[in-house]
Order: sequence, then structure tokens, then C-alpha cells
Amino acid sequence: MKLRSRKLLDRSLTGVSVMAIVLMALALLVLLGPIFSRGAAAFFFRATSEFRRINLEQFNRGDSRRIAAESQAVAEARQPLYGMLDDFAAELEDMDPARRRELRPQFKEVRDLLRELLGPLPGEMDAVMLRQQYGQTRWERAQVTLQRILFSEQWDYSDPSRMGSKVLVPRRQAFVGTQLEPLFPHLQQNLKSMLRPRFTFYWRFLSDRSLDSHFFGGIWPEILGTFYLTLGAMLLAIPFGVIAAIYLSEFAAAGRLVSLLRVCISTLAGVPSIVFGLFGLAFFINTLHLSHSKSVLAGSATLALLILPTIIRAAEEALKSVPHAYKEAALSLGASPLRMVLTVLLPAALPGILTGIIISMGRAAGETAPIIFTAAVSVGRPLKLWETLNQPTPALPWNIYNLATEHQAVDQIRHVQFGMVLTLVLLVLLLNLAAIVIRARVSRKMRG
Amino acid sequence: MKTNERNLVMSDAASRLRRLAAFFSKGFLFLVAAASLVAVLLIIVYIARDAIPFFKLRGLKELFASTAWFPSGNPPEFGALAIFIGSGLVTLGAILVAVPLGIAAAIALSDILPYRLRQAVKPVIEILAALPSVAYGFFALVIFAPLLQNHGGSLLSLAAWLILLPLGLLIAFAVSEIATRSIRADVAPAARWLLAATLAAVLVRGLVALSAILKNVTVSSGTNAFNVSIILGIMALPTIVSVAEDSLQAAGRELREGSYALGATRAESLFRVIIPAAGSGIIAAVILGVMRAIGETMVVWMASGNAAQVPQPWYNFLSPVRTLTATIAGDMGEADQVLGSERYHVLFALALCLLLISFFANLASEWILRRQARRLGGLK
Repeated sequence: MKLRSRKLLDRSLTGVSVMAIVLMALALLVLLGPIFSRGAAAFFFRATSEFRRINLEQFNRGDSRRIAAESQAVAEARQPLYGMLDDFAAELEDMDPARRRELRPQFKEVRDLLRELLGPLPGEMDAVMLRQQYGQTRWERAQVTLQRILFSEQWDYSDPSRMGSKVLVPRRQAFVGTQLEPLFPHLQQNLKSMLRPRFTFYWRFLSDRSLDSHFFGGIWPEILGTFYLTLGAMLLAIPFGVIAAIYLSEFAAAGRLVSLLRVCISTLAGVPSIVFGLFGLAFFINTLHLSHSKSVLAGSATLALLILPTIIRAAEEALKSVPHAYKEAALSLGASPLRMVLTVLLPAALPGILTGIIISMGRAAGETAPIIFTAAVSVGRPLKLWETLNQPTPALPWNIYNLATEHQAVDQIRHVQFGMVLTLVLLVLLLNLAAIVIRARVSRKMRG
Repeated sequence: MKTNERNLVMSDAASRLRRLAAFFSKGFLFLVAAASLVAVLLIIVYIARDAIPFFKLRGLKELFASTAWFPSGNPPEFGALAIFIGSGLVTLGAILVAVPLGIAAAIALSDILPYRLRQAVKPVIEILAALPSVAYGFFALVIFAPLLQNHGGSLLSLAAWLILLPLGLLIAFAVSEIATRSIRADVAPAARWLLAATLAAVLVRGLVALSAILKNVTVSSGTNAFNVSIILGIMALPTIVSVAEDSLQAAGRELREGSYALGATRAESLFRVIIPAAGSGIIAAVILGVMRAIGETMVVWMASGNAAQVPQPWYNFLSPVRTLTATIAGDMGEADQVLGSERYHVLFALALCLLLISFFANLASEWILRRQARRLGGLK
């Protein structure tokens, strides 16, 4: 081949491989971008007067006099709207039966949507569920509801050769000539004064309990549950992992038994996480009866098994990277091997071991499959420490799954889901950042 | 450690005591270290213990040969063939995404990028590896699936352009280069350019036709094997990149320098020398990446559509599928109530299959990596 074409091929290899790196970085950006931007909306958003009312009535938070004044003003702004509803209700009674039959269900729909937007209509009994006692707390959700009031969705099947398409029909058309007709433009123009949106930084999203299965409030039970599970897993796994690493790196003579041990460790690392979950159910709960049913303890034990190989490998790596001179110096001073390990080797390897521990902490916090059958429930209150022995808990990863797939109003609580994902991802990223920083410092120290 | 020689510093009694302490502490350390052995044994025993009753009740044939999966039907049917095919399909897809990308990235990291850039790329890989699987699953379900459903056709054609155009141009140049080798030197450049231009034109024409076809593809549901394959591929990337890079590095400096000294370009020494030497490590990397894809639960559970059916035709990535892991995760919630029923045990049977697959794949990758380490060690 000509030299030029050989060069061309060489360049193109460079191009392809650099493109792979770029694609990888791009994938990370595409993944994290929406999680960060939409997750931030759980914390920063335009909160309506309903949000402040919830804060006062459920969490006893905020200036009660100011909120009362605001409620007053908001109620006044809504008054003409409710007047129109009443007028139309009276008008409806006098209509001829055919038209009444046609309009009544539509009127009911409008009332239901208004209730969803602004909270209970005046004179109605308090609803049982919290989500029916308050209107929209977030301005962007209020906008969505407003659109649903202004337009009704209908499906157009007129063209048989194509799939049905969605058509938005203004609701106003149905009520032309009635007392309800002016309601729609009025609502559209005055919604701001009815809800008074204001930019809010809701940092208590992290520390509030959830109200009415995450319709309102924060994610504290999940955060606490994840904390317990991770802490428990670390408490169980660290002693076993570090001791095993010490044995493998310092005391084990090369032999069949030790290579069997190593094979077991890598096998354990390769077991799919869902199998760990099944094992936790079959062993910790159904056989050992650690708890009557799911509990934080059983979940922690399962997670501990999952991260054990990671800790062993990281700790062994760290122990092996300690210079031989350290060990030989300690031994030549007459220290027994055990004392050498405890006083010289472990302190020298500590930062490396810590890195491994931190990384596996992130892994334990984010794993879902092992805790599905052993620890996680969808709805729960924050646990006391001693309750972790026999009580299940909500946890961030499980509840992300649960809210995104099984919740009864998946679309209405997207902000909570994104907020949870952001919290979990930030947690894992911070842990990894800490590990990276520690590692950088260690490698600088080792280089001298 | 020699402790049996006569000790000059300590008295005999103290020395004996010390030896005894050393013996016991070593035994204790071994017992703790054996925890992972015990754990592996317990996992195998307890999964098998709950899986065997299923095979006793229903035999082997139904699970592996039938595609009728109606565990809650009356009578129930437990044909998991479609589920195995689903697992296989998404894993195949993940490999198609992750292996070329992963190996190319590993080459870049080990041989091409300068040191500083390499240090900057490492955290990207670490973060990709560290992100919780449920975050990937959430992304697949909430962001990627609607995107695929609403703009599936244009997305596919865009991807085809992005991937096939650079690769195709490269191949066109290489082909025209090789084809004009034996032509007289004075007309060769002209002929080469002419041929390359023709090939490129054909390529672009073909791509236009292909993207027209792809644009008309309607994706009926965004939660399908294609979606999951891409996400699983990204998740398997870090494993493949780091293991493959390690083994490329392990091939050593001497091999590279020897190859350069003989006048090979970087690409030539990579393909003729380094990759053959590191090949088994790369295979091990691929096996580990496959393991990650097969064993992943949350992404497939959330975004694969969970339909226990064989795609028609089998390579139809745009149809929803159901995998082993998702079946276990999804069905246990109901089966848990009826402890000891066939429904409960069949999930353990599936888990046993998963466990065996991962066990043997792990052994294989372990064996390959060890053999490579021995061989490369012998080379030095």
C-alpha cells in the first residue's frame, strides 16, 4: 500500500476512536441534561396561592396573616367566576330537556376541571382526599389544566386510511349564547389573579413528608429509607470486605483454596442484582426470619452481599499499592504480621480503601432490584432507628420506579419523579466526586 | 514468613505464644474471608431449592419450548421461550451498540489520546458506570420512549446518516485506494479520485433511499427492544471500555515499540500486533458487558414493554419484549402471596437460569483473563 493511504487509514482509526469517546460523553450529557433541568423544577417553580395554603395548613409554615389576606384576595378574584357557574346552573334548569341533556355532562366536566384547578367550589363539603381539597400548587400544572378547560380533546376518525388524530375543540362552542360562555375568556385572562403564581425555592422538598401519595409535599421518607439501607449495608459489608482483603493480600498463600475464594468473589460480583433480591427473600426472610416480612434489615443484608465483592477488590488493590518498604520496615522492627497490618498497612491503605467504600456506597444507594422483595414499599412514613429491624421503608430508587409506572396519576407528578431522580443522581455523583478527590490526593502522595 | 527458626530476641515461651496468636488470627481472617464463598454457595442452594419444585411439578420441556406464558391463567401455562428470546434480543442489541463503541473508546484511551485528555475522559466513564440503573430506566421510560414514539422515523434516519456516512466514506476511500493499486502511476490519482467520488455518490444515493424508508417507519410503542438495547448498550459501555483498555495496556510497551520500529503505523500495529495480543482480554470485556446487559433489571422492566411474545420477525427491534429479569421483578409481587405455588417456583427457575448463565460467563471471562495474564507475563 502507498504510504499516503496507510496514513489515511491511520488517521481514520484515530477519527473513529475519538468519535467513540465523543459519543460516550454526548450520551452522558443527553442522559443528565433532562434529569438536571427537569429535576431542578421540583425545587424552583412558580408556586400558586394554593401552595402557600398547603404549607400553612399542613406544615404550619408561613405568615398566617399574610396568607389569610392572600386567600381573601384570591377568593374575591374568583367570585365572578363562581357567579357565572351559579347563573348557568339556574339557566340550565329552565332549558328545554334535549338541550339540557346535552349540556349537563359538559357542564359537570367544566366544574370538575375547575375544582382541579382552583380547589373545591364555594359551599362544597371538604373532600376526603387532600388532592381534592386544594387546587393546583404549581403554575405550569395550572396552565395544563387551563388548557383542558378551554379545549376538549376529541379524536378524528374521518379519514379511514390513517390513524385517528387528536383534535382540540374549544369548549366555548358548546355553550354559545348561555351564561357560561363568558367564563372561558374570563378564566383565561384572570387566572393569574386567581392563583397568584410566584417564584419559589422549595428546598424543603428534601425534608418534607409526602402528602396524599406524593401529590404534595416532599420526599423525606424516601431519603431516610435510602440512608438507612445504605448505612446498614455498609455496616455489614465493610468489616467482612476489609478483613477478606487483608487476608487475600497479606496472609493467603497461593493455593487451590485461595483461587477458589477468588473465583467466588468474581462470581458474586457477576450475580444479577435481581437474583440477589430473590435470594434475600428466600434466605433472609423466608428461612432466617430476620423479620416477619420485608424490612430494612433484610434489605441491608442483601445489599451488603451485593457490594461485598466491590469492597474486597478495592481494598485489596489499595493494600497492594502500599510500598513494600513500609511492610519490611515494620517487620524488621519486630512487629508481628498482624501488628504490622494494623499499625502500618491499614493506615497507609486507608484512603484507597475509603475510595472503594464510597463508590460501593453509591452503588448500594442506587440499587433497586435487590430491595424490591426485601425492603421497599411504595408508601410509608419515616422510620425511627429501631423500627428498621422489622419495618419496610420507602426508598429513592424503588419509589422512582413506583411513581413513574404504578402511581395513579403518573403525568401529574412528573416533577416529583424528576426531583427524586435528581436527588439520587446527585447523591451518587457527590459520592463519586469525593472518591475521585481522595484518589487524586493519594496518588499525589504516593508519587511524593 | 519464617517463624520456625529459633528466635534471638524473644524467649521461647513468648515466641510460641506469638505463633499461636498468629495461627488463630490467620484462621479467623480466613473464616471471614470465606464469607463470599459461603454467600455464593448459599445463593446457589437457596435459588435451586426453590427452583427444583417447579421442574418436579412441570418438567423441563414446557419452560424452554413453549411460548405460552400465562402464569395466572386457569390452567396456568409456563412457557418462557419468548422471555428467553426477549432477553437474548435486548442483549444482542446492547452488544451491537456497546461493542464497537466500547472497543473504539478503549483504543482511544490506551493508545491515541494524550495523557491529560485521558484523565479527563476517565470520570465520564466512571459516572456512566455509577449512575443508578433506575435513573437509566427512568430516562428510557419518560424521555426516550415518547421521543421514539413521536419522532421514531426521523430519529432512525438521522442515526443512519450519522453512523453510515462517515463509515461509508471511509470504506469508499479504502476500496478506491486498493482497486487502483495496479494502475499506471501517472493516471492512478485521477482514477482513484474518480472511483472514490463515484462510490461516495452511490453511498449518498443509497443513504437517501434508506432514510426515506426509515422515515416512514412508525413506532407504535416507544417502550420496545430498540429503546432498551440502546440504554443497555450505554450501561454496558463502562465495563467494556475499562476491561478492554486494561488488557490493551497490558499488552505492553515493548510490543508497540517493536512494531513502530519495523515501520508500522499506529493503526497497523494496533490491528496486527496489539489487538491480537490483547484479544482474549477484549473477549473477556465483551463477556462482562453482556453479563451486565443480561442481568440488568430496572431498565428492561420499565422500558421494554413487558409483552411475553416472540417479535415478528425475530429481529424486529421495534416490538415490545419481556426479559427474564423483568419477569422475576414484575411477577414476584403477585406470586409472593401464594408461597409455594408453581407461580412462585417458576420465578426461581428463571432466576436459576440467569444465575447459571452469569456463573459460566464469569468463569469463562475469568479463565480468559488469567490465561492472557500468564501469556503476556511469559512474553516479557
